[in-house]
Amino acid sequence: MGYDRAMPANRLAPLVSREPLGGAFFLLTFAHPETAREARPGQFVMIKAGTSAEPPLRRPFSILSADPASSTFSLFVKAIGPGSRALCALEGGEVAQCLGPLGRPFTSPPPGSEALLVAGGYGVAPFRFMADEMRRSGARARLFYGGRTAADLPLLPRLSGPGLTVLPATEDGSLGARGRVTVPLEAHLDGLAGPRPKLYACGPDAMMHAVARIAERRSLPAELSLDPWMGCGVGTCLGCVVRVQSAEEPRPKYCCACTEGPVFDAARVVWPGDDCSSARRHAAERAGARG
Amino acid sequence: MRLAVELAGIRFKNPLIAASGTFGYGVEHEGLVELSRLGGIVAKGLYLQPRDGAPVPRIVETPAGLLNAIGLQGIGIDAFLREMLPRLRRHDTALLVNVCGDTVDEYAEVARRCDGQAGIAGLEVNISCPNVKQGGMAFGGDPKMTHQVVAAVRAATRLPVIPKLSPNVGDIAVFARAAEEAGADALSCINTLLGLAIDVESRRPRLGFGTGGLSGPAIRPIAVRMAWQAARAVKIPVIGVGGIASAGDVLEFLIAGCRAVQIGTASFVDPGIFEKVLKELTEWLEAHGLDDVNAVVGTLEYPGFGRPCPEER
Repeated sequence: MGYDRAMPANRLAPLVSREPLGGAFFLLTFAHPETAREARPGQFVMIKAGTSAEPPLRRPFSILSADPASSTFSLFVKAIGPGSRALCALEGGEVAQCLGPLGRPFTSPPPGSEALLVAGGYGVAPFRFMADEMRRSGARARLFYGGRTAADLPLLPRLSGPGLTVLPATEDGSLGARGRVTVPLEAHLDGLAGPRPKLYACGPDAMMHAVARIAERRSLPAELSLDPWMGCGVGTCLGCVVRVQSAEEPRPKYCCACTEGPVFDAARVVWPGDDCSSARRHAAERAGARG
Repeated sequence: MRLAVELAGIRFKNPLIAASGTFGYGVEHEGLVELSRLGGIVAKGLYLQPRDGAPVPRIVETPAGLLNAIGLQGIGIDAFLREMLPRLRRHDTALLVNVCGDTVDEYAEVARRCDGQAGIAGLEVNISCPNVKQGGMAFGGDPKMTHQVVAAVRAATRLPVIPKLSPNVGDIAVFARAAEEAGADALSCINTLLGLAIDVESRRPRLGFGTGGLSGPAIRPIAVRMAWQAARAVKIPVIGVGGIASAGDVLEFLIAGCRAVQIGTASFVDPGIFEKVLKELTEWLEAHGLDDVNAVVGTLEYPGFGRPCPEER
């Protein structure tokens, strides 16, 4: 697995604070010592409002921040379905059922380069955590933060800080650059000199696929935090599988996003409708050129 | 307090067993769940060869339930015996292997390879998976085929043989009797119910496979009814499974005539469910002045119907 993960803890997590951020967005802070202590950027928790029988399943949420000193972690949640709505309706002191930290975190960016973070909507959550960690290590990051409209970017005021440059983009032009988040990303890459940056992305599937294509076209490494429907979070239900293929593997295989992701190397992902991953395709092309 | 139950010659330290397909190969939960606290574990279904499983999406949440079409993704029996079984042997719990096949011969061969393997207490025979094109429910939906598969597995192993019956049939008693006549030692009742969820915008099935199997609390009354019907129809013991999430749910199945139960979907929601239910169950028995969980089995008072499994008492 390459990363020695701490064992997740399954326990009730009291809500410590609940901060409305406008619209359907909330910043929720829970007490959960193991997640507070062990979580790494890109990891997630499986969580469900403890008071509700419905909906049945816990939901995966990327961790926004973790604070070992107060034994708490925070989530950035958009109340859009029954699970997220129940979570956002919790009052202080009420509990959630919480299992975490889970999953494979983002790997560190190569030293000397600026990490390029690409977020769509509530996919920004892991990048606040990542930016905090990078700041501590003295690394620099640039965050491309996109949404349909200004109201989709409520975390914007909380993201600035030394070492992090934030470039908002909205499809309606109400905030930052007009258009999809990949427009300013490509403009930045076009003007870039110096060491090759690494891309990190979290957002809707279409955005992830677009970032993967940009990375492939420009031969840049990219890590994607994918978000399929998840049942258990620990690799037993096999519901959250993603089709992946390394350069060496003759055929794609299904990997659990919960235990082998949610962060995947973009070159290994086999997109719907494709026969193979870009890593495999390039390996085959190189072999063909040699042969 | 006696919580241990015995059935099909297997001793389970308590009546709570992890259901096949919901607990992986057991090892996934090492460190998260104390496996030796479980009555037993039924490992995920295994064929001779590894299987990719069904296309995504594979799970859909429904009211009080989960609709799934995983398609029996798995590592194959040989990899299981080589890589998983040695790890599972370290845990003091009864391990059952869930045997699958596209053909009768494949079921028998998987069973044969489990025979004589230290650490395997018995075989559950999967004749009821709704999410594969061959085998699975095709065998469990025809009493003659049920008989044929169970007889072939029976002949291939000395291990206890426990067919898992499908609820997607008219009269489960017919299938219970067919399995018993073919030499089954016990029955698991029930597998998931065949369902379909539709995305109204795309007008397509919400699952990649199309139809799926429904599990969770939504199916519990159906499972209790079918486990009760099966228990009345045969002399061999029945393991109840379907939507269990509390001690009250466990007791329903026991009272209906089951000697043990399996917990599945509820452990996706909370991997700590076994400890929680075991504690509740112990408390219930104490509160009712009982010192043996077996005293509850088959105690259903249902005017017009005899006790669910009278031959056993």
